[in-house]
Amino acid sequence: MEKLTFKVQRYDPDKDKKPYTQVFTIPFKHGMTVLDGLIYIKENVDNTLSFRSSCRMGICGSCGMLINNLPMLACHTPIEELKKDTITVRSLPNFPIVRDLVADLSLLFEKHKSVKPYIIAPDMAEAEKPTAEFLQSQLQLEEFVQFAYCVKCGLCMAACPTVATDKHFLGPQPLAQACRYSADRRDGGAKQRFQQADTPHGIWLCHLAGACSEACPKGVDPALAIQLLKRAIISDDLRLLKKRVPPSVAQPQAEKKPKVAVPEFTIKRPGAKS
Amino acid sequence: MRESHLKILQYITATGIFFLVGLHLIVSHLSSGEPTDWTSVAQRATSAGWLAAYILILLFGIYHGMHGIRGLILELSLPNRAVKIMNWTILFIGIAVFGYAVYIPIQAF
Amino acid sequence: MEAASKEKVPLPNRLGIKGWAWAGRYKIERYLYTLHRLTGFGLLAYVALHLVANGSRLWGQGSWESTMNFLSNPGFKVGEYLVMVAFIIHALNGGRLMLQHLGFTLGKPKPPVYPYVDSMRRRRPLVWVLLALITALAIYVLVEFVISGD
Repeated sequence: MEKLTFKVQRYDPDKDKKPYTQVFTIPFKHGMTVLDGLIYIKENVDNTLSFRSSCRMGICGSCGMLINNLPMLACHTPIEELKKDTITVRSLPNFPIVRDLVADLSLLFEKHKSVKPYIIAPDMAEAEKPTAEFLQSQLQLEEFVQFAYCVKCGLCMAACPTVATDKHFLGPQPLAQACRYSADRRDGGAKQRFQQADTPHGIWLCHLAGACSEACPKGVDPALAIQLLKRAIISDDLRLLKKRVPPSVAQPQAEKKPKVAVPEFTIKRPGAKS
Repeated sequence: MRESHLKILQYITATGIFFLVGLHLIVSHLSSGEPTDWTSVAQRATSAGWLAAYILILLFGIYHGMHGIRGLILELSLPNRAVKIMNWTILFIGIAVFGYAVYIPIQAF
Repeated sequence: MEAASKEKVPLPNRLGIKGWAWAGRYKIERYLYTLHRLTGFGLLAYVALHLVANGSRLWGQGSWESTMNFLSNPGFKVGEYLVMVAFIIHALNGGRLMLQHLGFTLGKPKPPVYPYVDSMRRRRPLVWVLLALITALAIYVLVEFVISGD
């Protein structure tokens, strides 16, 4: 293909009552991503086109958009993989549109905050004045590390059919993060997160459509996290959850090694003490 | 009641319905005669085992269906007051339907 | 100046109920979610009608038999078959959902390595087996109860 057709959603809140589609034709280059196409449009065709992007390598999560009817990161989507020369780009569904392709993600961040996405240490004294590092085996790490790769791009929320109707539903990303922290052996706040998830608009409105895991660009698999969290909540209800053993800490060194002397500078600087 | 408790009941009733309705269909169709024939119906109506099975099917089925509908309605982002009204309405409809439905086999027994 | 200083409210963009049905370019589990809802509705409607039909028993044999005569219409037979299929789909898919909601059959979390394969994709063979079972049972019910007239 030599030319690409971009059908881009446009919306200017100062001028438009509702979004409309604008068509652009741009030259194709091998290896181009959707983000490259949008940047080309902005630089050469229409500099009023608005979209978010930052790292351009799939790590910041800024450029989430609906590309050919699937939520994707624009920087992470090579045009050749789409196998079409017509690319439809719209703002992420289930998030309000600020302008053009820019979605308002503030509700995602509020819901994310509500599940306490941080380690709540069982021993506050140790947490505030740590004396040693926590020890975690590889197996213990693997219980949650997959869910720690989340970049908060919002693609899972755009894909979720429950988020489509229920604005109070926590959503795949916050629930997956609730699982990530509850599964971490260093954490003691699982029950608080269970209370937040076990509500009428909480975890039980997830019906395992699986679209969130399909849309996730980082392999986080939020669907798996949510079902594991459901299992933990039910196990806790039925008193089947094993009592969490407090995380072990590294033993203090039996003997302190002597300080290594700083070697002499090979180049003497003027004014330096010898 | 916590949502997780309601969900555990949903799973229990689902399992119960699977076996009881399966049994209801298999036995109805494998027994001799037409299952909807008045004589078959009258025969099953006087059986304590069938009565118990019908009551259980109705209890499990109505709970499972009403809870499913409740979940669906909760996803519609209704205001809190409407959700409270909806919860009580579903409960009353469920009890009323159960009452009517269970009256039929009990009356025949 | 006043208009420019007013903060613009972002335009709502939820898919709404269309988001339940529209499965776009997603895979089979997303369609099974929609099918599970539809079969649930269908079964609930059937249960209501079934209770009304059974209620005719209260008025004796005559009332019962005239109800059964009315329901022996071919249209109702098609409806009964669809209800059977809906029950098979809802029950078997519900069994899968119950197991997976409780964390079974999905496997354990592991550090993601590109190309990412999520738990839904890893367990897709289970879904194909489920669909094969649903198809087999639907054909069996069609042959045994509808065509042979039991």
